Amino acid sequence: MDVRTHRLDIASRRDVMLGLAAAGAGALLRPGEAFAQATGPWAVAPNSKVDKLNFVVWTYGDIYARISKQFEADWGVKVESTISSFNDHPTKLATMFAGGEKIDVSQSSPFSFPNFVSQGMVEPLDGLAGAADYAKDYSGFTKEVAVVDGKLMGLPYFAAIWVWNYNEEMLQKAGIAKPFSTYEEFIEHCVKAKKDGHSRYPVLWVAGVGLEQLPGTWYALTWNRGGTFFDKQGNHQLGPGSVAREALKWWANTFEKGLDIADPESLKVQFTTSAKVFGAGKNLYRGPNHHYGLNVANDKAQSSIAGKVKVHGFPGDGRTIGVAHVYFLSSAHRDKEWAWKLLQYLGGKTKDGQYTQAVNLAKDAMLGSGYNSVMQSDAIKTGWAPWGDVDAILKMWEKATYIGTVVPSLYQPWHFPWTDQLNIEVQKCLTGQITADQCCDNLIKGIADAKRKT
Amino acid sequence: MTAADAAIAARRGRRATGELSPHALGVAMNLPTICLLLLVLAYPVAYAGYLSLHQVGIAQLRRGVFPWNNWANYTRLFEDPLFALALKNTIIFTLLVVVVEVILAIGIALLLNRASLWTSRLARLLILIPYGVPPITNGLIWSFMYSFQFGFLNRILFSLGLIDDPVNWAGNPDTALYAVAVAYIWRTLPFAVLIIHAALQGIPRELYEAATVDGANAWQRFRAITLPLLAPVIVVILVLRTSFAFAVFEEILAITQGGPGDATFVAAWYSYKLTFSPPNNIGMGAASAYVLAILVGLFAIAYVRLIYRRIG
Repeated sequence: MDVRTHRLDIASRRDVMLGLAAAGAGALLRPGEAFAQATGPWAVAPNSKVDKLNFVVWTYGDIYARISKQFEADWGVKVESTISSFNDHPTKLATMFAGGEKIDVSQSSPFSFPNFVSQGMVEPLDGLAGAADYAKDYSGFTKEVAVVDGKLMGLPYFAAIWVWNYNEEMLQKAGIAKPFSTYEEFIEHCVKAKKDGHSRYPVLWVAGVGLEQLPGTWYALTWNRGGTFFDKQGNHQLGPGSVAREALKWWANTFEKGLDIADPESLKVQFTTSAKVFGAGKNLYRGPNHHYGLNVANDKAQSSIAGKVKVHGFPGDGRTIGVAHVYFLSSAHRDKEWAWKLLQYLGGKTKDGQYTQAVNLAKDAMLGSGYNSVMQSDAIKTGWAPWGDVDAILKMWEKATYIGTVVPSLYQPWHFPWTDQLNIEVQKCLTGQITADQCCDNLIKGIADAKRKT
Repeated sequence: MTAADAAIAARRGRRATGELSPHALGVAMNLPTICLLLLVLAYPVAYAGYLSLHQVGIAQLRRGVFPWNNWANYTRLFEDPLFALALKNTIIFTLLVVVVEVILAIGIALLLNRASLWTSRLARLLILIPYGVPPITNGLIWSFMYSFQFGFLNRILFSLGLIDDPVNWAGNPDTALYAVAVAYIWRTLPFAVLIIHAALQGIPRELYEAATVDGANAWQRFRAITLPLLAPVIVVILVLRTSFAFAVFEEILAITQGGPGDATFVAAWYSYKLTFSPPNNIGMGAASAYVLAILVGLFAIAYVRLIYRRIG
């Protein structure tokens, strides 16, 4: 997969001219707005005409209503949106595509993206005005997802890393001086909190079925212990004695059939719902998951322990995993130039040269950006500050590795059906129906089957 | 004038006025319905059958070009242990739901049939409420009800002193399928109640009066009169409820999503995942739906034969 990281150096003459113009304008910028440029390809109207455009995305607050309104105001073209839940999005998109509908822009997690690409649903962005400039600003995570076989296939939606949370008030009441620094200490804290009656279930894991919810927890626990799921040659790393297998044994032991310190709600919750459940104040720790859950757990309107939820890094060397999601130009678009224009409003710059959507996502939803310039800007520092310790999170960010390094199979179309099986087997393991050894053995067998299915 | 002469005269008369024969009129009247059914029912069913024999993904479906796949989709289906498990779960779910529904429906309908009670008139109205709830909404309502720490069900049971610790109804592999079944029965029971109640009202009261004069007690009247006369209606309910229960989907989606693990993985959920999740194996998904449809058909035939043989 080394082609994935090839530098994108294909640029048209028009791109170069526009880039030079943008660079000239950039020199006049005020400090703190390093990523905002007043002129550039994003400010140029396409020559063609369209009546309307549309995008198919998963829901996140009112960000899409706002950006659609801005697009319509800037360009006079109506934007229609089809919005579903995160888990239903691949289904919705695939159904629309198969049904022959027009789709200009959509988005994808890194888990679905290889399938979308292999099914011909994604239009490469190479050669489009300004595309190469965007790619130069991509963070490492984003490059891993958006650049496929050397081709630029998407613009960043957001980036996130896996962190732990703890209830500071409960920790103090339990007489625990500071959060755990080893996994043994984590267990000690949980057992103590349960024994002393501070929490019936001291840890809430994110173990709900999903592409990166339950799997992400296992991936993060494994990577932090120094393991992976596949090596670079694609050989699985799930055999007896493997780090992944041992991590699963440890994890399963926190559930009912073991130490019984894990909240049974863990098996149902996704990222945001886990933050809401944790906000009820019944758990001491919240297992590793996307960092932006803090903006729910520390929101007074949604959490009874708002302000008391703190971010915590992984034990040992603190290594964690990160992920990036992307927007892409659909091959079922109406008009390529206009679709590209709309795509930039979601994943790039608006007419004023600002990364409007990325900045709004940082401020409103605590999401990280796939652009280096946004991550280094005040948008992150001021935007995230109401919900958590920004410096601490950014330090953890430095120790984050892209999830695809831990699970290289996600670049393959068969990763998706294999993840379906992973969700089933791991939940069976966590509920004591099978052992961690059986679970891993079943998953090893399932690799061939998943490949066959694709 | 003979009958044949009269028929000829009538035909001539119709010709003269441009009127259609009864047979032609019947065909003409039914034709729009037949066309509509062919379009919305027969065509998709036949098309699904066609897809089940081809290699079909999203891209192929958009292009409309599918490579012939012979019986490969069906072969792979029967090799997949998850499909076997999904079928097993579906059959358990269906048997449970149908048996409980029929028994409850008969009991409730008998109570409702006592028109003298004002409560039965009120109950007739109230019983319809669950049937008006959309399936996915019903699933979400019960999902909240079953919530481990925050659900109403555990709270009520705890308040009544029936449990000491919350029960993980939908999250425990031992109880999850039953939890979904309860939610499903709650929504669909009114249909069976209404049908049976309507049938009960059609049974002549004289039969019961005669049986009472002959000394039959309530149970004997039920066995000798009510049950046999309800049998045709029960067959209809069994066939319909079995067909629908076999295709249970919304409650699974809202409450368990097939989990925990594969505890509530049913056939319709399997077909859905196969078809609509990447890599979108639509051909195999169509094959699994066909297997499900054949099973439902077999159940329906078995019901009809069994019940009518007993009546006979």
